[in-house]
Amino acid sequence: MVPVMWIELIARDGGVALRQRIDAEEARIGRAFDNDLVVDDPHVAPHHLRVYRGADGELVAEDLGTLNGLYTEHGARRVRSLSLAREPVIRIGRTTLRVHDGAHEVPPERPLTPPGRHVRWDAGLAVALFAAVLLGNWLNLTGEPNANALVLPLLGLATILVAWSGIWALLSRIFVGQSLFALHLRIALTASIALVLWAQVAEIAAYALAWREMSEYAGLGAWAVLAATCYAHLHAMGPRHMRMATGVLMALIVAGASLQYFQKWASRTENGQRVTLGDLKPPVLRAVPLAKPDDFFKRTETVKARVDAARVKEPPPGALSDSD
Amino acid sequence: MSFRAAAAVPLLLAVCAVPWAQQPPPAPPAATPPETAQPLSTAAERVYDFAKPRILQVRTLLQAAGRQTTIGSGFIVGADGLAITNYHVVSQFALDPRTYRLEYLAPDGANGPLTLLAIDVANDLAVVKVEHAGLPEFEFEPRALAGRLPKGERIYAMGNPLDLGFTIVEGTYNGLVDKSYDERIHFSGAINPGMSGGPVTAADGRVVGINVAKRVGGEQVGFLVPARHAAALLERARAGPPLVVDKAREEVGRQLDAWQAAFYDALRKQDFRAAPFGPYRGLESKAPWMTCWASTNADRVPKPRTAVNMTQCSSTTGLFVSNRILTGRLDFSYAYYQAVDLNAFQFAKELSQRAPGPASDPQGGRRLTAQECHDDFVGAGEGHPPLRATWCMRAYRDFEGIYDATLLVLTQDRGREALLAQLTMQGVSQANAVATGQRFLEAIEWSR
Repeated sequence: MVPVMWIELIARDGGVALRQRIDAEEARIGRAFDNDLVVDDPHVAPHHLRVYRGADGELVAEDLGTLNGLYTEHGARRVRSLSLAREPVIRIGRTTLRVHDGAHEVPPERPLTPPGRHVRWDAGLAVALFAAVLLGNWLNLTGEPNANALVLPLLGLATILVAWSGIWALLSRIFVGQSLFALHLRIALTASIALVLWAQVAEIAAYALAWREMSEYAGLGAWAVLAATCYAHLHAMGPRHMRMATGVLMALIVAGASLQYFQKWASRTENGQRVTLGDLKPPVLRAVPLAKPDDFFKRTETVKARVDAARVKEPPPGALSDSD
Repeated sequence: MSFRAAAAVPLLLAVCAVPWAQQPPPAPPAATPPETAQPLSTAAERVYDFAKPRILQVRTLLQAAGRQTTIGSGFIVGADGLAITNYHVVSQFALDPRTYRLEYLAPDGANGPLTLLAIDVANDLAVVKVEHAGLPEFEFEPRALAGRLPKGERIYAMGNPLDLGFTIVEGTYNGLVDKSYDERIHFSGAINPGMSGGPVTAADGRVVGINVAKRVGGEQVGFLVPARHAAALLERARAGPPLVVDKAREEVGRQLDAWQAAFYDALRKQDFRAAPFGPYRGLESKAPWMTCWASTNADRVPKPRTAVNMTQCSSTTGLFVSNRILTGRLDFSYAYYQAVDLNAFQFAKELSQRAPGPASDPQGGRRLTAQECHDDFVGAGEGHPPLRATWCMRAYRDFEGIYDATLLVLTQDRGREALLAQLTMQGVSQANAVATGQRFLEAIEWSR
């Protein structure tokens, strides 16, 4: 009996457009109609490729002397012939093919997950997030207690989460063929919880350690969370689009964060620091020892040195004139 | 509170800002004073007749355009052509002699250049010289120099208000202003922008004071610099070397430094007393020129969730250095906060929203450097609550060693009540700022 082989025509989105069973020792591929697989690609020769079994029984693809030739996956290098056991994906013209031996091993059957489990998990995350946001809002509520002020942000947050997950689901649908909405929603929920926690941790740390820079640059942590979230979304979409998309996204996020912090830095240089005690927390959260007044006022010398340096360094144009 | 906001403003007249259409109504006929048999209008006529060849309009002109940018008044005090005016009338020229020049205009239409000989920033005075020998002069009133002028005496302010022409205004001498660090005569009469630096004389035409400021929001509340400061500056101008105009900026810096040294010295000499704020104690200056005002939110509707009792004290000093620099103020405030139904987190949030002090103003941004701060938790030891303190400073670009400094202090011993104290010092040296700040911070203690 002749062993079976399968030739798959890979679509642009990475899915299989056509799968052809070949029950012969050899298969011929090209644009002409006497081939075993006919490919409608003007860059493919009428008789382009031959797939046959080599001496050791492994499948081999061979270029039949064409103009555009035979390439490995992604068109990395042109070859005369190559063994398909190790590199099953090949390119001819603008067409990508995959050839499998009938003996190709497939992963074992995956058990069906009961749909309720994910839903319960998601609902738990959502409840945790909303509880955290509600608690945060309530602890920051200094005016009249107002149901609107407490609940409206939750509605806004829910809308943003659904919209965000929806956009990722749409992208998944386009590139992977599956929307994966529940997965994207779960990622978004987890990320939001991380953001809320980070904001709290940063505020409390800035207060407890009397660490002004922490409160000024806590936003960088939020950017990092955003970057991790986007990575997770891309990872969920599968490894195929990972490398380039990740690169582009991370570059965008780094650019965004740098721009924001450059602006902040420039504004600080221009306008200086504000007279503020920062985000205060209950005094019991203080974690650093009290400075002696003498030491505190000694440190004002460094403040004086900074403004003296600024005074000498940067007289802006027209600074010394009254007229304008 | 509204009274505090009504600050005294120097009477500098920026020409572009004058409402030309508004002509001041003629003064109503005044009552006859007991000591003279003649009606008052006749006295004013005599005073003006006497003063006319002796008063000047002092104009600051833009070199490039040759046109006036600001105007004030002045008066001749010596046959050698020396004249007195306000520092704020000539400040643009003093700080930037390459952009501006000074010129005088006499009531008879004569005009010519003015030379700046001496300045006194603290008393807002300047001595200028008219290149015109043999002019008649004013004398200073000896009773005014000795401080023996009776309250209620009729005095006459002269100058060129709003560039409308030389004018004489009758008013009343009301003694020195109470609760003022700078010596100023309270003049009850209308003085207006453009009259700055003009003389105020008694009925015999002798100078009692110099027009300097009025209170916006008051009616006919004017301020004069006592004549003795002008006499002293005149003596200094005659005795000492004349001011080198290119070095005037350094002279202003020296005077600012001397002023703040004397002011903080006086503050220390006047001493402080403890003032209770809830369970805490703070500091209160015994100086009569520190005026304090209290406020509360207890009567707010709906009932506030944080009760606030605030005391704000201000030195009511103000030093005009230039159009952009008004300095020399000392403010301190205590606000005692008590949570009504807020928890500790909410109360801390409420305090964070209240605590921000003055943002650095973009106007001053050119004249002052950007602000730099340092903050920490501070403890002054036994009897003192733990504190959260922020110290911020800006330097004056034009004057070395002069700063604006702010100290913000919050007590950190209880979750639901706190004392927020703020100290703001303008135009102060580092040493005085730190000494005052440390005194202020260490005075915060538990009263029970």
